[in-house]
Amino acid sequence: MECHAGKDTVAAEKVDEKLIFVGTPNVGKSVIFGFVTGRYVTVSNYPGTTVEVTKGVGKIGGRTVQIIDTPGINTLTPMSEDERVTRDILLEEEGYRVFQVCDAKNLERSLPITFQLIELGVEFGVILNMSDEAERHGIQVDEEKLSRILGLPVIKTVAVRRKGFDKIPALLSEARSGSFRVDYGDYIEDAVEKVGRILESRGYARSKRGLALMILSGDTTLREWLKENFSPEEIEEMEKVRSELERLVGVPVSYHINNARHRSAARIGMEVKRIVPRKKHSFLDHFGRLSMHPIWGVPIMLGVLYVAYLFVGKFGAGTMVDLLEGKLFGEWVNPFFVKLFENYVPIPIVRDFFVGDYGIITMALTYSLAIIFPIVGTFFIGFGIMEDSGYLPRLAVMVDRIFKKIGCNGKAVLPLILGLGCDTMATLTTRILETTKERIIVTLLLALGIPCSAQLGVVLGMLATLGPVATALWIAVVCGIILAVGYLASLIVKGEEVDFIMEIPPMRVPEFRNILVKTLARIEWYLKEAVPLFILGTVVLFVADRTGLLQVIDRVSAPVIVTLLDLPPKTAEAFIIGFLRRDYGAAGLYAMQKAGLLDPTQVLVSLTTITLFIPCIANLFVIIKERGMKIALAMMAFIFPFALAVGTAMNKIIRLLGVSF
Amino acid sequence: MREHSKDEILELIWTREEEGERTEAGLLESSQEENTEELIEELIHDGLVERKGENIVLTPSGHERAERVIRRHRLAECLLSNLFDLEDDHIESSACKFEHILSDRVTESVCTFLGHPPFCPHGKPIPRGECCRKFTTHVVPLVIRLSDAELGGEYRIVFIIPKQKKRLERLSAMGLIPGVVVRLIQKNPSYVIQLGETMIAVDRGIADEIYVKRV
Repeated sequence: MECHAGKDTVAAEKVDEKLIFVGTPNVGKSVIFGFVTGRYVTVSNYPGTTVEVTKGVGKIGGRTVQIIDTPGINTLTPMSEDERVTRDILLEEEGYRVFQVCDAKNLERSLPITFQLIELGVEFGVILNMSDEAERHGIQVDEEKLSRILGLPVIKTVAVRRKGFDKIPALLSEARSGSFRVDYGDYIEDAVEKVGRILESRGYARSKRGLALMILSGDTTLREWLKENFSPEEIEEMEKVRSELERLVGVPVSYHINNARHRSAARIGMEVKRIVPRKKHSFLDHFGRLSMHPIWGVPIMLGVLYVAYLFVGKFGAGTMVDLLEGKLFGEWVNPFFVKLFENYVPIPIVRDFFVGDYGIITMALTYSLAIIFPIVGTFFIGFGIMEDSGYLPRLAVMVDRIFKKIGCNGKAVLPLILGLGCDTMATLTTRILETTKERIIVTLLLALGIPCSAQLGVVLGMLATLGPVATALWIAVVCGIILAVGYLASLIVKGEEVDFIMEIPPMRVPEFRNILVKTLARIEWYLKEAVPLFILGTVVLFVADRTGLLQVIDRVSAPVIVTLLDLPPKTAEAFIIGFLRRDYGAAGLYAMQKAGLLDPTQVLVSLTTITLFIPCIANLFVIIKERGMKIALAMMAFIFPFALAVGTAMNKIIRLLGVSF
Repeated sequence: MREHSKDEILELIWTREEEGERTEAGLLESSQEENTEELIEELIHDGLVERKGENIVLTPSGHERAERVIRRHRLAECLLSNLFDLEDDHIESSACKFEHILSDRVTESVCTFLGHPPFCPHGKPIPRGECCRKFTTHVVPLVIRLSDAELGGEYRIVFIIPKQKKRLERLSAMGLIPGVVVRLIQKNPSYVIQLGETMIAVDRGIADEIYVKRV
């Protein structure tokens, strides 16, 4: 085995070769990439997690290779942001080779991309991954025959077991442009010829066939590229050929081209696939089916969510937090530092800055490391298992109809569930949704009603002391508001109906190592983002406390807090701090509840209000970045009074009815 | 052409009977044929219609022939409107031509293809044919929407009629193209289709636009 990790040692060396990984989603591309470079990328089962492009450097067969991992795609004529990113990389980069990673059991899905790479004149090799899964499904691919037909080197691998990786160096050195040619029929071929001549005159001789087909598909994402590289007359000429062709073939040209590719793929598939005895339906196949079943799917969904709650809410937010906060920080770390500062730091203000009520160690680090870390950690482990097992897309199938009511489709459940981990991260993943309308609605719901894991942990902990009625009430109010606001938003936000078309990957037993590495990467990201903000938040609090600003805020907001919500003035602090980190605010309420400052109704009202209250500052920044300042401000302008209004209504109704918990 | 004109008159008598009109005077008035009076005499001579006082009515054999013409005409209307989304005047003029040229065999195929529709696009009843009577017992329509397909059944996609062009591209990029065989795994809460080793979930709107034929 000659290819091994060596990112740090070779980074400074000269790069001998450039290699790009291309493939459909969920084929294990990232695992092979991680193996070759030694650097890990998020592996997941639903389209869209690898939106970020990852680069790395590795050694293959003694050569230093710079490697780019591209997002999973179905076609190089882009229909999603991911596909566009991948296509652009292939157009922009120069002097590279490509590894196309395919799912061996689903060869026909990958071959259209193979054809496109051939048409672009790319030098590449084909990796048939997951060949073990294919054989379990009764499919054996004759890779030598496939290699002859395509005119390309082909190898078989089982990435998760590192099988077949010894053939990777040979695949790289043998990479070449394939010889297979899809026949698109006379009309299209003639048009390709005409456009090809223009491309050739501009130095795109090698890739002209592929480029011509993209242009003829009417791919609007190519416009910029065309403008940069061709004269207006040439563009007009090509457009003329295209519209003439569209008139001739009647249906969209891209559809014709896709059809021709899939037909060729099906023919090749029949030639190279051998059907071997299929293993019986496994338990996982059955479970996968049941989890989408209109009746059985519901208890499974509730069961999965309950197990997730037990793991994150009970184990993470309960047992682990007790251990870390109560024991480690409460009995060891904090007393140690308090003593240290008392003995060696004579200036009281410096001492308080670090170990006082709003101290960096006693507050910021304790909160972030002892409370947030275990909750977020267990959440990401749970989410990773749901992701890698293939359950999440099935969940999307279950909820599609409900989500249609709020102007989205089932896919929107993915960012919303992720929002229960971290709203900031979830807002970023709204990119997997296709329309702006959906993105705006989901972003709003995340900002408004979805509590992140840290906040959820504290909230559930506090509700537990109030009993099941209060908990049910909190859940009902928050869920009801999410649905109602979503429904109204779907009427207000303009945009087209959204299609639900989603590939469902097979259920798999998640690989322990993948989950572990992925969770670590996410926690690393989280801590890097969270801890500095925690410290900043604590410093702001510390300063506000010392300068008396905190008291001023308490006084100013007192009328609202006291008269409308019937809460003690000090609660204002929690709401304001909640802006720095949502959970931070909830933690403030937690402290007040423990100190006996809140009665049960006050706890419920304050929790509901803070759940709906404006999102944390990090989330706000991401909303501005993703949706623009105007929409972000509009959302805040809605959420701020709305949360207070709901809290007020809840408070008044509970008191009017005389309900007690 | 003579036979075509006779068919037109028979058809007119049929549709007028549907509206409860039988008078000869009315018939002469609404006919667009040039020599209607002559044609009526010929039809009487052929034993297809008879004169009863002021009225002209179909004989049993005339009824049979008119029924077939009507059936061809209205099936043609269904074909043109359901499948090709043509405007009304196109449908009418083409259907008038179709009614004369469709053989019985082709008529049965069209009827089966359309799933034995009981009414034409204008809501008038389509006379039942031999194939429709079989249908009620053991023949199923050739082409149906995927949303009407049976669970677990294997179907070949015949055509896809999307509301938006974009959909066609997205479906075809996933390999859902005419000619491929799919299996319908479930309908609720979403439609799940098995295509080779790929499982794809779609919503009802899309399942409605995919037309399939049982394998």
